[in-house]
Amino acid sequence: MPQIKTKSVFFILILICVHPRSSAADYSKFSHATQKHQAACSTCHKVPTKEWAKTSAFPDITDYPGHDACVSCHRPQFFRGARPPICSVCHSKTSPRDDVRYAFRNPASNRQFATEFPHDRHQDVIALLRFAHAPQNYNNCTICHAARTTTFKAAPKDHASCFNCHWKSQQPVAENCNGCHKLTTPYVSNDQPSRISINFIHDGGGEKKQHVAECTTCHINITKAASLRGLKPDVPITSCTECHNKDGLRQDLSKELVAIDKNRGFVCAYCHAPNVGSLDPPASHYLIAERPPIKRRDIK
Amino acid sequence: MKLVFALLLTVTVVVAQQQVPPRQTGVLRLRVRVKADDASVLRGLARKRFFLIPGTLEQNRALIDAIDRQPVTTRDCYYKKLGASAALIDWLKEGDCESVYCRGVEKDYVTGPKAVPEFASAFAASQKEFRSEETARQWLTTNLAADVRDGFYRNRQGVLDALLKQAGGAVHSVMIDRNGTAYFTDLGPGTYVLSNVIPTELGQTLVTWNCEVQVKAGDLATEKPYLISNRKDKLVKCVGIEKPKPICAAD
Repeated sequence: MPQIKTKSVFFILILICVHPRSSAADYSKFSHATQKHQAACSTCHKVPTKEWAKTSAFPDITDYPGHDACVSCHRPQFFRGARPPICSVCHSKTSPRDDVRYAFRNPASNRQFATEFPHDRHQDVIALLRFAHAPQNYNNCTICHAARTTTFKAAPKDHASCFNCHWKSQQPVAENCNGCHKLTTPYVSNDQPSRISINFIHDGGGEKKQHVAECTTCHINITKAASLRGLKPDVPITSCTECHNKDGLRQDLSKELVAIDKNRGFVCAYCHAPNVGSLDPPASHYLIAERPPIKRRDIK
Repeated sequence: MKLVFALLLTVTVVVAQQQVPPRQTGVLRLRVRVKADDASVLRGLARKRFFLIPGTLEQNRALIDAIDRQPVTTRDCYYKKLGASAALIDWLKEGDCESVYCRGVEKDYVTGPKAVPEFASAFAASQKEFRSEETARQWLTTNLAADVRDGFYRNRQGVLDALLKQAGGAVHSVMIDRNGTAYFTDLGPGTYVLSNVIPTELGQTLVTWNCEVQVKAGDLATEKPYLISNRKDKLVKCVGIEKPKPICAAD
């Protein structure tokens, strides 16, 4: 028995010595989740960046923190070899003679923070309007959601639409990064959110541009959204069928439901791309058309 | 044997979870139409927040009494007491604004004869700070005193939070659009009190709505909306109580 124990200990010791150290830190990757990287943001990031005016129209954080932010703890890694891996976190070329850096923030790197934005409070303060406003002026949502294409609006990409109010004194202020940016599991940012009614055009609606309504007329849940978590565009079918499935006006929805009756492989294309248009229409669509819901597979 | 039992238990739990029927919820389509005075036409009330409080009027009696007793400070009174300029008070009134954030500050209100003194001072400070004239104008609220900027809105939020703490359950809240329509979605079936909690300024009066509404499961609100107003009509389900606006202490 003692002989087996000795053998086991010996074997484990060999394993420890021979096995590569899988837990060795990879200094070419920077994580805000590392315990020692969780000091106050201003420890490394200065707001605004010293020479912000060179690259930005407004005071902003436009560049990576200076070398001091890294060297204070990572001196050994900083001076390790001719091409220290740690440099590649910010620098696109790892060379003492070249200080060229990736764009800030590096678009190729995973996102480490989720943005917290309460639509409800912002609706309260910025989306009020006066009656006399012409249609093109009342959508205060466009302060942040400018047109990306004629079809869909863009989500804010930078601090331009935040700092004009939250620069100082109005919390969360520019220096209070954590007020909006919450550390989360790294993720790849998706700039192309999945769309259900891809054929809808915000600026459309015929000659009279009937689609140019107030945003909340269709996005009915946005004024109660206290967070971005789980937030969806949330446009109910009733917003569309007020015009597109009205007796004596248009029957765009009903026509496509009838087409499915005749051919279960019919793809709804008035609003949808084929990936959505080939699915079973939801019960809400049948309710509007005043018909009981059916499944394509049940159609002979 | 134990392994088989554990497996069976897991399968049973998973199947049971999958068989839980989805929660049936309903929708309330709210429509608010008002008359500022007898000479005005009935029109949709724009951009005001409404609340749906679980329970009957009787169950929420204490809260409704507190809403009625709550002293109201109107926007004009708040800003007059603060010593704000008449130009700023007019600018806020023109947009029916609760804070300076509710509309962009156009050039005319920063310099020239229509300039609002508070904006002009903030603009001058912003010019020094932000170098660009355009950024200075767009960011001028960052150089306004907090009370001028959004003190009235914050006061109202404070009152609102204090009152809604007295509600018995989770309170739903939406803002009506410019035509006076809003949807309360994902509502459990039952009785609710529909309220604006803080009286709405309408011409020379303050209007408060506290109405009992029923929400049915599966109601998608595709039929007639729940219409409320400050005037009686056969289609109006709830008439708000009007009170004259209080006289400002600063007058």
